[in-house]
Amino acid sequence: MDNYQPIPARPAPVKTVGAVAWMRNNLFSSIPNSIVTILIATFLVQIIPPIVDWAILSANWTGTKEADCTRDGACWVFINAWSQQFFYGSYPTEEIWRINLMLVLLALVMIASFKLPKAIRMKASIIAWLALPFIGMAILDGRLLGLPVVSTDLWGGFSLNVFMAAASIIVAFPFSFLWALGRRSDMPFIRSVSVIFIEFFRGVPVLSLFFMGSVMLPLFFAEGTNVDKLIRVWLVLIFFMSGYMAEVFRGGFQAVPAGQYEAADSIGLSYWQKILLIILPQVIKVSMPNILATFVMLFKNTTFLLIIGIPEVVQTLQTALSNSYWLGGHAVEGYLFVFFVFWASCFGMSVMSRRIERKLNTDKRD
Amino acid sequence: MSVVKSAAAAEDVIVIENLNKWYGDFHVLRDINLRVKKGERIVICGPSGSGKSTTIRCINRLEEFQEGSLVVDGVEMIDDVKNIESIRRDVGMVFQHFNLFPHLTILENLTLGPIWVQKKPKAEAEAIAMKYLERVKIPDQADKYPGQLSGGQQQRVAIARSLCMNPNIMLFDEPTSALDPEMIKEVLDVMVELAEDGMTMLCVTHEMGFARKVADRVIFMDAGQIVEENEPEEFFNNPQNERTQLFLSQILNH
Repeated sequence: MDNYQPIPARPAPVKTVGAVAWMRNNLFSSIPNSIVTILIATFLVQIIPPIVDWAILSANWTGTKEADCTRDGACWVFINAWSQQFFYGSYPTEEIWRINLMLVLLALVMIASFKLPKAIRMKASIIAWLALPFIGMAILDGRLLGLPVVSTDLWGGFSLNVFMAAASIIVAFPFSFLWALGRRSDMPFIRSVSVIFIEFFRGVPVLSLFFMGSVMLPLFFAEGTNVDKLIRVWLVLIFFMSGYMAEVFRGGFQAVPAGQYEAADSIGLSYWQKILLIILPQVIKVSMPNILATFVMLFKNTTFLLIIGIPEVVQTLQTALSNSYWLGGHAVEGYLFVFFVFWASCFGMSVMSRRIERKLNTDKRD
Repeated sequence: MSVVKSAAAAEDVIVIENLNKWYGDFHVLRDINLRVKKGERIVICGPSGSGKSTTIRCINRLEEFQEGSLVVDGVEMIDDVKNIESIRRDVGMVFQHFNLFPHLTILENLTLGPIWVQKKPKAEAEAIAMKYLERVKIPDQADKYPGQLSGGQQQRVAIARSLCMNPNIMLFDEPTSALDPEMIKEVLDVMVELAEDGMTMLCVTHEMGFARKVADRVIFMDAGQIVEENEPEEFFNNPQNERTQLFLSQILNH
């Protein structure tokens, strides 16, 4: 009898690979599909050239004032002229380096949590993340660092959206983890407090929470204490966010098999060792896509802050639109700009979360 | 009770008396009585749902029980957290589905207990881990993740992970039931070696060859009770109880 010989792998048949095959499979696989493909192609041919023309070819790129917008297309001069307002609000020009420093720190911490040597990465990046909102606050405010004080009324623009979102989610992270643990607790008191908290903040519209933060919350503080409006809104965002994230984490907890708890118990780990060393890393891994989705939601919700008069980016845009030197109707350019800035940030985060997911995915064989 | 093969030290390390357990209204363990001597190897078999896993899971308190008493290493298992954690350090457990920690490398899986529970320095913990990885014959896998190993390798890592805690007693809960036939032997070989070194072992398994080879006693359970216990030769060749005969005829004749 012959010896068994493994059959070598052969390349796939030509018909199933290549651009032509792809088009046949995906665009013209049947008559209805071909019709839809042609209709969509015609539509795109109709719509794309005018948009390109308006936004790029006949757009106004250079200049400093409304009168410089002489051509038919978009007036990007408007964005250019107001860009400092859009990004930094009314923050004093000579102090803007502080906002940039805060953003650079944010980026550095982000990079550090990927690139630090493995031995210290976990500890160092957790401490850095948790300290970041408070350091950022100190830098922007300035009084603790002996810099000129910049009142929170002057903070604004897109950097404020970023700061509020980042500062809220970072602080909300540990809290939401505790709420999720509480909801799974065997102790009835802890469980019901957690359930009530989570369901309250998930069941109430975020706008009404903002109003509560700006109008009602001061009533609860002791007389004479005056807590800054931005801090109050920050608290509201933290509560709101931790309610949502608690549910994200609860889903993550349910995805960790009971055997993991039992194995941790069987080698004698204490409750907190078990939760922090074994369960939490696995919870974060399965929850990563939902954590990102929740964060993106919160980030975009920061534009609602304009309702209570906080000069975030949309608020500054509206101020710019009603400015008497710029009454030429630049709303389209303005809102497109806001769309783009938010979209680019969210897309960037989405790319980053995919990287984190890949990093956490240890299941692949070599 | 039957004669015991290896009664070198006649000291009972596990004493179970009149143990009863309920899941809600369901009476899962009924009047379990079991004494295990130091160095004794016990195989527990029985149909699924007979309470054999539940029994050994009571020993390291992964399950609670409602009535009876359970003494491990001279420590009575009561609702005292300190007791439970100290017992768990002395009792190793190997699970059907390995339950390795997927986010940690093999080496980190093994050093976790020594570092965090026994407070050993990292270098010492790693030396211990490598020693046991060599013993289960996979030191070359130390830096991989559990997901990159075969089932048999994972189970051997799980055994090594328990051994790193230097336990007095090892519990095996169907250690080969989730493995492909080709991998069962490599795990059983490790378990046989462990038995030959004199480890006290309680093993829930249907590997009757293993039972014949290493067990001092075979225990047959059905419907939450111990139906019969005997030394392996007697147990397999001359089962006393009708239920045992039926069970053995079903698992041996196929």
